[in-house]
Amino acid sequence: MITRFLTDVRVKFNPFSPRSKSARIFLSLIPPQARAEGMKIDAKMLPRTSTEPANLELKFKDGKEMKLDLDKMRLPEVMEQVDRHSRQLARKEELLG
Amino acid sequence: MPPRIRLRPRTIVLRVQQQLPHHSHSYASLATATTPSPPIEQTSRFASPVLRFNPAQPPSHKPAEVRKTQLHRQYQSLLKSSPLILLFQHNNVKAIEWMGIRRELAQALKKVDDERTAAGSTDLFGDAIKIQIIQTGIFASALRIVEFYHPVENTSEAPAPAARIPDILPSRDDPRLTHGLSRTAYKAANKKGLQLELDPLLSGPLAVVAFPAVAPEYLKAVLSILFPNPDFKAPTRKTQPSLYEPDVQFGLQKLMLLAARVEGKVFDQAGTRWVGGIAGGIDGLRGQLVAMLQGLGAGITNTLESASRSLYFTVEGRRTMLEEEEKEGNKGEEKKE
Repeated sequence: MITRFLTDVRVKFNPFSPRSKSARIFLSLIPPQARAEGMKIDAKMLPRTSTEPANLELKFKDGKEMKLDLDKMRLPEVMEQVDRHSRQLARKEELLG
Repeated sequence: MPPRIRLRPRTIVLRVQQQLPHHSHSYASLATATTPSPPIEQTSRFASPVLRFNPAQPPSHKPAEVRKTQLHRQYQSLLKSSPLILLFQHNNVKAIEWMGIRRELAQALKKVDDERTAAGSTDLFGDAIKIQIIQTGIFASALRIVEFYHPVENTSEAPAPAARIPDILPSRDDPRLTHGLSRTAYKAANKKGLQLELDPLLSGPLAVVAFPAVAPEYLKAVLSILFPNPDFKAPTRKTQPSLYEPDVQFGLQKLMLLAARVEGKVFDQAGTRWVGGIAGGIDGLRGQLVAMLQGLGAGITNTLESASRSLYFTVEGRRTMLEEEEKEGNKGEEKKE
């Protein structure tokens, strides 16, 4: 997953829900240096009884915001969505030099 | 296997040889590659029991020499011996950050140890509490066995396993093998329909902190270092300056407390904090219970007494009344006379 264009990651999930797996794995895909390089990561865990769906809010360097409902998505789909925009940004960056 | 020396008096040998023609049959089960079949004269008598594996290493479901089997065994013993386990997710924590986290944790626990020593307590296990990365799949499997497999324990008079299984062939399918790594355990724990409470949590990179006893003081110390919040504040910069090094802080940001397993029950974050907030631990709880019961006892005695007291007053009142009437009656009689 391309993470270098992300500036802000907000995840909210209930760890006891079997559908929150993609949210947890998404967090584990963020590289170790991300926080030191200025990415804001905010993981909020809901109480066990909560039925609120897991969701993910992303901000990219160009200001685009993305909201994903992780409850219904598997991890490859999430990565696909995030990478689609990141690739566009990467191409722009490459063309501008 | 050390060479076996058969010491037999010559007379017995002679007698056995005389009996030979009647009982000359051998056991097919005894003919294995590891142990040659006993000499023909021995088969006529009771064959001495032979254990074909080391009693400390009974045959296991998966090959015993591979790492995952040993980890499985280790996790089972960890789960059985620790009533309180915290489950963390670690997201790409670097080695140097782990080092810092472990150092700070050890320092905080040592402080608790010192406090307890000063208070005169002898139950110190600050050294035994460590954060440990686990292999998630193997841990999940070990947890299934710990939860769902309860072999019937023999009574204390039962001899050692070696003697209990006298002449067992080294087969994994033998139902007499009941240790945690046996095939029996595997089958029992993998039946359909068995669901662990922790199942949805057991995926991704996990680490555990295991406590040898439910000790809220230690839990509080661990939570205040690894997962601080307003209830469990991290030690200040003055008391523990090394905690605020960037390496440690970046590492701690990547740790997430998922759940706790306290004496077989699963708690979420709030529940874990509640356990950590029990003042004085189990002794504190006992004290509260005793105080409550004493209060209750006093109340009950008051209530019970009050009934008898009122009865006493009624009876006493009636008696005085009767006495007065009697006196008046006596006076009247005296006057008449």
